Parts: sequence; C-alpha cells; structure tokens
Amino acid sequence: MPKYVMVIDQSRCIGCMACVVACKRENNVPPEQFRTRVLELVDGKFPRLRSEMRAELCNHCDHAPCVTVCPTEASYKAADGTVQIDRSRCVGCKACIAACPYDARYINEEEGYADKCSFCRDRVREGRKPACVATCIGGSRIFGDREDPDSEVSRLLRRNSYRVLKAAAGTEPNVYYINQYPQKLS
Amino acid sequence: MSFSRRNFLKYAALSASGSLLAETPFFGARARAMAEGGKARYVPTTCEMCFWKCGVIAKVVDGKVVKLEGNPLHPQSRGKLCARGQAGMGLLYDKDRLKVPMIRSGARGENRYKQASWDAAFDYVAEKLTAIKEKYGPESIALFAHGSPGTYFANVARAIGSPNISYPSFSQCLGARNVAWELTYGEGPQSTCERTDMANSRVIVLFGTHLGENMHNTQNQEFAAAISNGARIIAVDPRFSTAAGKASMWLPIKPGTDLALLLSWTNIIIKEGWYDREYVARYTNGFKELSEAVKQYTPEWAARETELPMHDIVEAARALGKNAPNVMVHPGRHFSWHGNDTQRGRAMAILNAILGTWGRRGGIWLAPKGKLARLEDRPAYPEPKRDAVVYGDYPFAGGEGLTNTVREATISGKPYPIKAWLVTGTNLLKTMPDERRTRKAIDQLDLLVSVDVMPTDMVMLADVILPECSYLERHDGLYNITTKESGIALRQPAVEPLYQSKPAWWIGNRLCRSLKLDAYGVKGTWEDRMRRQASLWGIDYNELADKGYISIPGSAAPYITPTNPPVFKTDSKKIELYSSELDDEDFDPIPRYKAIEQPPAGQYRLLYGRTPVHTFTRTVNNQWLWELYKENQVWVNAREAARLQISNGDLVRVVNQDGVESDPVRARVTERIRPDCVYMVHGFGQHSPAMTRAYNRGADDQHLITRYTVDPITGVTGMRVNFVKIVREA
Amino acid sequence: MELTITGTNAITYPYLHIWDWRVAIYLFLGGLVGGIMSMSSIANIQLSKTISDDQPFCWRVPILAPVLLSLGMGFLFLDLDLKKHMFWFYLSLNPASPMSWGAWILVLIYPPLLLYALGALPDHIKEKIKPGFLKNLADQMRPRLPALARINFVFGILLALYTGILLSTFVARPLWNSAILPVLFLVSGMSTGTALMIIMARRSDVKLFFTKIDIWLIFTEILVLLLLFYGQYVSDAAHRASIMPFFNVSHRFFPYFMSIVVLGIFLPLAIVLKFLEMTGDHSAEITPGGKFLMNASAVLVLMGGLVVRFALVYAGQLSSFAGLMTN
Ligand SMILES: Nc1nc2c(c(=O)[nH]1)N[C@H]1C(S)=C(S)[C@@H](COP(=O)(O)OP(=O)(O)OC[C@H]3O[C@@H](n4cnc5c(=O)[nH]c(N)nc54)[C@H](O)[C@@H]3O)O[C@H]1N2
Ligand SMILES: Nc1nc2c(c(=O)[nH]1)N[C@H]1C(S)=C(S)[C@@H](COP(=O)(O)OP(=O)(O)OC[C@H]3O[C@@H](n4cnc5c(=O)[nH]c(N)nc54)[C@H](O)[C@@H]3O)O[C@H]1N2
Ligand code: SF4
Ligand code: SF4
Ligand code: SF4
Ligand code: SF4
Ligand code: SF4
Ligand SMILES: [Mo]
Repeated sequence: MPKYVMVIDQSRCIGCMACVVACKRENNVPPEQFRTRVLELVDGKFPRLRSEMRAELCNHCDHAPCVTVCPTEASYKAADGTVQIDRSRCVGCKACIAACPYDARYINEEEGYADKCSFCRDRVREGRKPACVATCIGGSRIFGDREDPDSEVSRLLRRNSYRVLKAAAGTEPNVYYINQYPQKLS
Repeated sequence: MSFSRRNFLKYAALSASGSLLAETPFFGARARAMAEGGKARYVPTTCEMCFWKCGVIAKVVDGKVVKLEGNPLHPQSRGKLCARGQAGMGLLYDKDRLKVPMIRSGARGENRYKQASWDAAFDYVAEKLTAIKEKYGPESIALFAHGSPGTYFANVARAIGSPNISYPSFSQCLGARNVAWELTYGEGPQSTCERTDMANSRVIVLFGTHLGENMHNTQNQEFAAAISNGARIIAVDPRFSTAAGKASMWLPIKPGTDLALLLSWTNIIIKEGWYDREYVARYTNGFKELSEAVKQYTPEWAARETELPMHDIVEAARALGKNAPNVMVHPGRHFSWHGNDTQRGRAMAILNAILGTWGRRGGIWLAPKGKLARLEDRPAYPEPKRDAVVYGDYPFAGGEGLTNTVREATISGKPYPIKAWLVTGTNLLKTMPDERRTRKAIDQLDLLVSVDVMPTDMVMLADVILPECSYLERHDGLYNITTKESGIALRQPAVEPLYQSKPAWWIGNRLCRSLKLDAYGVKGTWEDRMRRQASLWGIDYNELADKGYISIPGSAAPYITPTNPPVFKTDSKKIELYSSELDDEDFDPIPRYKAIEQPPAGQYRLLYGRTPVHTFTRTVNNQWLWELYKENQVWVNAREAARLQISNGDLVRVVNQDGVESDPVRARVTERIRPDCVYMVHGFGQHSPAMTRAYNRGADDQHLITRYTVDPITGVTGMRVNFVKIVREA
Repeated sequence: MELTITGTNAITYPYLHIWDWRVAIYLFLGGLVGGIMSMSSIANIQLSKTISDDQPFCWRVPILAPVLLSLGMGFLFLDLDLKKHMFWFYLSLNPASPMSWGAWILVLIYPPLLLYALGALPDHIKEKIKPGFLKNLADQMRPRLPALARINFVFGILLALYTGILLSTFVARPLWNSAILPVLFLVSGMSTGTALMIIMARRSDVKLFFTKIDIWLIFTEILVLLLLFYGQYVSDAAHRASIMPFFNVSHRFFPYFMSIVVLGIFLPLAIVLKFLEMTGDHSAEITPGGKFLMNASAVLVLMGGLVVRFALVYAGQLSSFAGLMTN
C-alpha cells in the first residue's frame, strides 16, 4: 500500500495562488470556502526583512484528532494513509473542525457536510497528481508515495531537513516543509 | 498515437499502486476523453485572462466548462495555469457579463441604455461612422485595442483608411523597453515571452519586475526553478516584493534612481575588469565611449543618489561580474515609469551586453529560427491621406502606436479632428494616465463604440456596446508561439457563446459588411480561415485542434555557438553600446544620468503594481479571483504611518499634488516599503454598478495619476511621477 | 510579523466559529439535568423519611429531567448541519469520540431516568395515567425507587461531567483542553441542579437543606474556576493566551470580561444570600421574604451557570493551538 504525503518546498512558493483556485474548481468548493490556503509571513524591520511562503492544507495526520472525535465515523483514515470523509455519514456536528489544530476543515455551505483536502483522491486514483500540485507554478508542492524509496518525495525527505507544522500537537502530520527561507548564498 | 481505454486503466492502476505518480501524459483531447470513457470532453485552447497565451485544456461536462488545466504540450504553460487561468469560468459564467448589444439612451455616463438587435447596432454604428468619415475624413476614426480582439478591428480601421490605431501595451507598458533594446541589439528582448533563461542563470537582477506578483506563468516557473537551482536573486525595488522575499539581496532603491545604479554597476564592471572582453570586442561597438562616459558614476555617488549601501552596490556588481555570462539584468516589462525610460532600458541592455548575456546560457536566449508566411487574403488597405497622430513627434514611437497622442489630438482637434473611437479589450479610463483628459476627449466624440465582455467604467461611457463572447467561446486565430522553439497554437471554443455575445471576428466581419467593405471581411467562418492558414504553414489543423500546440522541429537555437552566431539588426550589425541612431536624433547616445524630481516633505511617490490573482481591471469581478483579493490597499511605511497616526486597516484617502482624491481605501501599514513612497495594486475602484462584485471596492491608482511625464524618445507616459498625501478618512 | 493569508474559511478564521448559543444551552441543560438527577436522588434517598412523597420536587423534578434533557438534545440537533444524517449517530460507535459516547450515554440514561420518573410519581398522579402498562410499571418501580435514585445519582454526575469532557478533549483548543474543565462543568451542573431544586421546593427545611449543599457547590465552583484559570496561566503560551479574553476590556473582548464580572458578582452574592438565610431564624413555615431570597440566590446560580457555559463555549473558540504563525 502506498502512503501518500506532500512535501512543500517553501523557497519555491511564489504566492501565486494557482493552487488555491485549482483546488476549488477541481473539487467544486463553494464560494469563499477553501481546502487550501497560502500564508505569507514577513519578519523584521525595514530594510532588514525576511519572508516565508507557506502553502497549508490538511496534513492527513497519522494521529488525526478529527478522526478520533468523529461520532459517526464519517472521518476515517484510509489505507493509503490519507484521511477522508464519507459525506453520506457526516451529520455536520463540527467536532472534527474543532479538533483539527490546523484549521484544515470547514462545513460545505451548500451541502452541510464537513469537508477538507482529500489529497485529490479521485485524481490520484486515476494516476494523476492532485490539482494543486499539477498546477503549482513554483513547483513548491510535491506529492507522492513515501513508501516508495524512489519517489520524489522520498528523495526530497532524505536529502533535506524537514519540519511539520505544530509538531507539538502530536498529530504526526504527513505534509512536510522544506527550505523555510530562500537560500542566502553570499 | 492511439491511447486506448485499456492502456489508460493499466496506467492508472500502476499509478495508484504508488510506484508511478506523474501527470497523465497528454496525447490529445480525444485520446483523453476516450480513455476516461467519454465522461467529459476536452478542448485545447488558449487563455486570455492575460496576454501570456498559455495553452489551456478545458474540461467540458454536460455542455459546461468545469475545469481548466494547463496544456502539458504547450511551452507557455507546461501543464500549469496561474490562478487567473484556472478561474476562466468565472468570466464565462459571470452573471454581470455583457449579454446583448446596447445603444445609449441617456447622457454619457448616465448608464441608460436600450437593448438593440445586432442588425440595429451595426446599422447605427455604420451610419455614424460613414457620416464622420465623410465630414472629417477616415483618419478621424481611431481604434484603441489590447489583446486578441484588436486584430479584427485594426482590419476594419485600416479598411476605412485610418492609421490611428494604438495599443496601451506600447505607451503605458513596454514600449520604451523594446525601443531601448532595438536600438542596442536590433530587436527586443521578447518573443512570445521575455527571452530570459532564468532557470540556468547564476545571478538574476530584477529592476521592479515583481515576479510572483507579476504572474506570467512560465516566467514564474522559471523563476522558481532558478531559486531552486541556487541562483542569486538581486531585487531592486523600493518595496519588499514577493521577489525581494526570494532574493539574496534586496536593494530598496529610491524610486526613479535606477539609472544611477545601472551606470555605476557598468562603471564598476568595466573598471574592475569583469566584463566579457572577447564578447565585447567581437559583438559590440562604442565600448571606449561607454567606459569614458560611465567613469563619473562612482559607487560612492550612486550610493548617495540611490540611498543604497555602497557595499551592497559593489558586491552586487561583483556577483554579476564573477558569474558572467550566465547572469542577467532582467529587461522588465512594464516600463513607463518616470518618463526617462528609454535610457533606463538602454542602460540595462548595455549592462547585459558587456556581461555577454545575449545568446548565453542563463542570459537572454536567441529567438527561434524561421519565419512563417502571412496569409494574404485581403485587398490592400487604402493609403491614409494624412499623417497618423499615433506617433506624435517622437522619432522612436513604435508600431503599436501611442494612445496619449490620439487622446490629445481628440481634445485639441489638431492636426485634425478625431471624432470616433472604437475601443476594444482596453479599459482606457483606468489604463491611461490622467483620467480627466480621457473623459475630456470622450466629450469631443461623435461616436464611441465599445467591444468588450464586461460592463466596465469605460464601457459604460460608450454610445454603442457590442458584447464579445469570452475567450472560452470563440475561435480566435492560430498563434505562432515563440519560446526557445517556435510552434503553433490555437484558440477554439470550449462551449457556444452565451446570451447574444459574439466573437470579435464576427463583429468585425459584420462591421465591414455594414460599411460596405465586404472585401476586407473573412470568407466563410474564422475557423475556415484558421484552416487555410494552417495549410499554408503545413500544419494538420485537426491534429492541432486535438493537441492545442504543435512545435516546429529544428526551430530552437537559443545560444550562441560557432554554427549559430548572433545576428544584430542594427545599422552597424553590432550591439550598439553607443547608439548612433539616438545621436542622429539629438538624444544621448550613451545614457546620461539626470535626477528626477523627488516628492516634497510630507508627500509620497505613488507606486503601483500587480497582485498575482488579478489582471488589471479585467478580473476584478471574477468570483473565483474576487474572493481571493476583493480590494486593494495603500501600502504605507510603518514609521510614516505612526507619524500620521494611521493604523493597519484604517480607511484613508490618497490625495495627489493636484488635489485629486481617491476613493476611501484601507491602509496597509508595513515595513515592506520605503518611507518615501506608497504603493497600490492597480485595477480597483470600479464605479460601474453593473460590476456587482467589484463595484466600489478599493481605490483606483490611475485616478491619482493626473500627472505624467512623456519620454522624449518614444513618447511613452511615465506614470510614477505623482506625489500624494495620505489623509485619514473621517 | 506581517501575515497575509489567502484562502481562509470564515468558520475557522480569524478564529474558530463553529458552535454558538445552541451548543452553550445544550451544555447548560446537560449539566442542569445532571444536577437535578443527582440532587433529586439525594432528596428521594435522604429526605424520604422526613418528608412526604407529595413534595412536588420529589416527583416533578424527575419528570422535568427527561424533558429538559430532550430540550437540550433539541438544541444540539438544531446545531447539526446535516440533520437528515442524524441516524448515523446510532449506526456507529466510536469509543474514542466523546460525541459518540454522548449519543450512547443518552440511550443509556433515558431508561433509568424515565423509570425513576415513573417510580417517583405520587399516587394521585399515577391514577391519571392512561396506558395501563405504564401505571403497572410505575407501581413496580415504586419500591425500587431508592435503587433507581442511586443509579440516577451516578448518571447525573456522569452526565454533568460528560458535558465538560466533550470540550476538554479538543487538544486544538487550549481553553477547553484542560482536565479541570469537566470538574468545573460537573460542579456547576450540580450547583445549577441544586438551585433548581431550591426553586422547586416548597418547604423551608428542604430549601435550607439544598441551600447548604449549594453553598459548598458554589464555593467549589469558584475555586475550580480559579484553578482552571490558574492552570491555564501557568501552562504554555497558547493556554495562557486562551484566558486573556477574560482579562481584556477592549471592545472585542468586552463580553468575556463582563462574564467574569457577572460571575464575580453573582456567585458570591448567591453565597451571601444563602448565608443570610441560614443564619436567619426559621420556623417550619417559610416567610415570603425568605422564600424570595432563597429563590433569588438560586436564580443567580442558574444564571451564573449559563454564563459559564456561554463564556467558555465562545472563548474556547478564540483559542488556538500554537496560533497561526508558530509551528
Ligand atoms: N498577476 C498579474 N500579472 C501580470 C499582469 C497583471 O495584470 N496581473 N500584467 C502583466 C503585464 S501586461 C505587465 S507589463 C507586467 C508588469 O509587471 P512588471 O514588469 O513586473 O512591472 P514593474 O513596474 O516592473 O514592477 C512593479 C514593481 O516595481 C516597483 N517599483 C516602482 N517604482 C520603482 C522604481 O522607481 N524603481 C524600481 N527598481 N522599482 C520600482 C514596485 O514597487 C513594484 O514592486 O505584469 C504582467 N503580469
Ligand atoms: N495606473 C496604472 N495604469 C496602467 C498600469 C498600471 O499598472 N497602473 N499598467 C499598464 C500596463 S502594463 C498595461 S499592459 C495596460 C493594460 O491595460 P488594459 O489592457 O486596458 O487592461 P484592463 O484594465 O485589463 O482592460 C481590459 C479590458 O478588456 C476587456 N476584455 C477582457 N477580455 C476581453 C475579451 O476577450 N474581448 C474583449 N473585447 N474585451 C475583453 C475587459 O473587460 C477590460 O475592459 O495598463 C497600463 N496602465
Ligand atoms: S490536518 Fe486536521 S483535518 Fe487533516 S488529518 Fe490532521 S487533524 Fe484531521
Ligand atoms: S462534522 Fe461530520 S465528519 Fe466532522 S465530526 Fe461531525 S460527523 Fe464527523
Ligand atoms: S490535494 Fe487536492 S484537495 Fe488537497 S489541497 Fe490540493 S487540490 Fe485541494
Ligand atoms: S501554486 Fe505553488 S507557488 Fe503558487 S502559491 Fe500555490 S504553492 Fe505557492
Ligand atoms: S499567465 Fe495565467 S492568465 Fe496569463 S495566459 Fe497564462 S494562465 Fe492565463
Ligand atoms: Mo503591460
């Protein structure tokens, strides 16, 4: 079984938001709701500043509190390592939204079910990359199988030091961040 | 190549097992549809959310476009689309779109229109145009255009006999840059895209050129690749742009002093011997004059003039020198900044030349080989009897024409009256500096016709509004896409036009007919013509329609090699460091620094730029982009804001030197900008209530640009010369 | 630090925004029902010798309990965004999900609660019951009332505790994520339950009996509330930040500040009133003034309980794990 993960090379993210729109159109996300977002953080005082770009989405946590709290087992951890939602079981109680330390979830305002990034399950099943990855202008989002040592994600995680967000929450995320700041070469 | 459903499933199964996860290879629209069992139809076409001409694959289900993706075969998109490209359906399905032809029934600007049939609208326009032509001559009919619809109306204007055709892409955009490079190298630095070899570059200098915010698809793909490959980015920008955030050196230059920095770098590189001796000797002329001329521009002087640390100036020059020729000073694109722009462009071109970047890896690559034949299927146009006003008195005003001289001629009636404007694909009120003059000119008109897709402020001034359909609903031409290689792409409809909207080619054709200029119209449909053109170029049209892009083999020759020497189409057949052409017209043959006026105390220079999720004013009403960025803010340096007692998010008004006031706009209090300037994203402050989402959101930078300085060489309008105050909104 | 985020959901940004008054009332009613279950059980066990079984609270309260509980459930139901999928609560059992137990606890609670209510019915009411089997059931439950009361006592505590556990399991919401929160909700639930008993009781000795209990409960509640704040304060930055809305008078946080002020007045005032009553001279007959004071303090306690639920439900959603910027 594969274990799908995403690696985000922050130095390559140019904040173009192509991912945000692609995700919405691919997954029919209602107006003003989002499965993924991009943060731009700028630190310092003029003229000594540094900037960090960071795409965020569901981390498909190994210890997913959203799954733990779901009363109807609508949220579940799938065999491929992703965390999915069975819409037909969801009662819209929102416990999973409160449980997620990453604010990755929302209620689909048109339908009422809890929703979040699915790692583009349908596309991936067809052997295609997730929509956000496919269109990522900066090539900042890299998706693949961590179990496969030859996959790009495995290679990147071998070669780079990486971090996950809010590690202290103990959720064991599967979205890994590399190159937080662009290199200084001087 | 055939790609059966079985193969596809095998492939999918392989991928799903995790061993292979690549984008599905694209063998053509029909193959993909078949592989998926016909759930959806795929239509390769070309994006028009901006002018980068990305290859799009539209996914159509039940007659609706549900997703747009980048065409992997197309070199301008490489399988990717930017946010705006992804959001194309937001235009197609915008409820606010122009739907039917309309004829004005109230006073101009009163927003009162009567719906009309296409026939009635054409009759009305033809009658007026004929009257104007008879009374004032054909030259009194002017066309303003931008983007693809321009072609069809330029044909109409020429057929009528008018030479007065202008595009803001020259005078408000890249005119000065192109002329500067043409004067230096004999050609501009741009094919379909800027010919910058960023992915292979060691050092990239950006003057302005706010990549990341300036979102031209593959250029940004290359930029990110450059960052990943360890290129050193030097961002010269008064504002900490996205690109500055990616840079190893940010140079927050005093606006308008870029030429000082460029000349001092040239000086350092020559003095310290970093320049490419052999290249300079072989391909350039005027090096001696150049070295003499730049001697005065010392780093100490430049540091004072630009307010940058001298150490940084020297270090940056050395970084360029050490890594030459695999470096570039990016030529930029939007160039009409301060009215001295051609000389800034010249200095950039010259610096590139002495570093030997033209035709070198990581520098500026050479245009692909081969020229495609023109399809000549129209009679010759009548020769205009009077000189065009679109070149003004500017010896180097380019072929795309100046918008501003047409406007001034319309106001003054000199050298002859201009009485009709056809406007298509450009929102002149927001695009040209000094909106007051634009309105004044419009007051002089007997006829203003607008061919557009949205009810913008400019459109709502028109006497006749002709609704074009969106780019996803029309045939629009075969494009010769020149990246490193040359290739052919097309635009074709993903769905039929909604409402009564029509493609520009059809509107142009019908206009020809109404004006009894049938011979200039296209025979058959536009697609028929596209087929004729394809066969002229030896391209299988059906294959093109299926794939969206076909490359021309053997056309790529990006770098100088012994068998691929560069050809310079200048008078001297060399790179002209010293421009005799400029000399002949009494301009400085080598750029000379002249300081520009700086804002008085308490005022700020007004700067503007892009947000990655909008294209000027054309996307501000698009649902999927609007929700990402609903209104602009005015960036104010944090220290200055504290002095003005303005907090982040406060409503303020921006007031310029002429007392012109902006709409209320929120202040963005930030460390990311120099204290002597403020910054706004262009495109906001729409007053047309018919644009329901964009209506009254944010403020219009152009409204505040009542002053502009004209570049004497090209006639382009420097628009960063306005000084403003920030006033707290009560 | 300058932060720009593109692509936020109103439900989570700028802060969590999922549960409103409906959930606050549900939690309040849950605690209240827990409280009256336990307190009426005490009454039925402790006082059954000294007071006659037609004391209204002895049978009215057990009837009120399932009604209030159902009302509370109604509010929770109102909050669900996909009500038509409700039934999935009972086609799944996720032992790790407090909401799931919540659903099942209710299933477990209703039978003893209803049986208890039946058993507590005085004869003159029992006469009026129409379906014969119900009356029989009531007759059969009568002798088992002490046992049922004991079960109800325990379930009452579990129910009140549960309302706090529901919130405290959210690691992502530091204000809720405290082991003290269930204790607070338990004590508060008991205290509001007791207050309702006081209001429902007619006889002054019974009122006094529960007034005495309530004094201790309120004391404990204040102490636990202080402990909750203290616990948060000495914990990590996110936990510390989570209580800040209560100590901030700015416009946005004013309601939270006010909730503390209100609690700071209501609860001690309730205690004072109760002390006044207890130290007063009471004959078997209660004076109208005394009755008013006792009821008034009980109302204060009920309102305090409501304020606690509202304040914590809303303020908890302002708190977030490590914030947006830190990793
Ligand atoms: N998303 C998006 N992308 C676009 C477009 C769009 O509408 N939307 N439009 C496209 C078009 S047509 C064009 S022409 C390009 C324009 O995009 P660019 O060619 O990148 O435009 P510039 O004016 O070079 O860049 C604006 C930057 O210049 C800085 N600047 C202002 N004054 C000065 C100065 O005096 N010196 C220096 N060194 N910097 C200065 C500003 O702070 C700002 O960061 O963008 C293209 N890309
Ligand atoms: N103040 C200020 N002025 C500027 C700039 C700036 O940054 N600030 N930028 C300058 C630059 S670089 C440029 S290139 C110009 C751009 O100037 P314009 O090209 O005028 O840009 P837009 O504002 O996008 O106006 C485009 C118009 O075309 C319409 N349109 C869109 N798609 C279609 C279509 O398919 N068919 C038809 N018929 N119409 C269509 C839109 O509705 C809109 O009315 O502006 C220049 N002027
Ligand atoms: S990020 Fe949130 S929603 Fe996604 S698996 Fe982790 S806890 Fe669940
Ligand atoms: S909202 Fe839906 S997915 Fe989330 S916890 Fe409730 S039932 Fe589960
Ligand atoms: S993987 Fe798919 S669902 Fe998740 S953020 Fe990317 S596009 Fe959206
Ligand atoms: S598409 Fe890629 S580069 Fe663009 S904002 Fe998203 S993650 Fe960043
Ligand atoms: S850069 Fe974006 S908007 Fe421009 S043509 Fe390409 S996809 Fe369309
Ligand atoms: Mo432009």
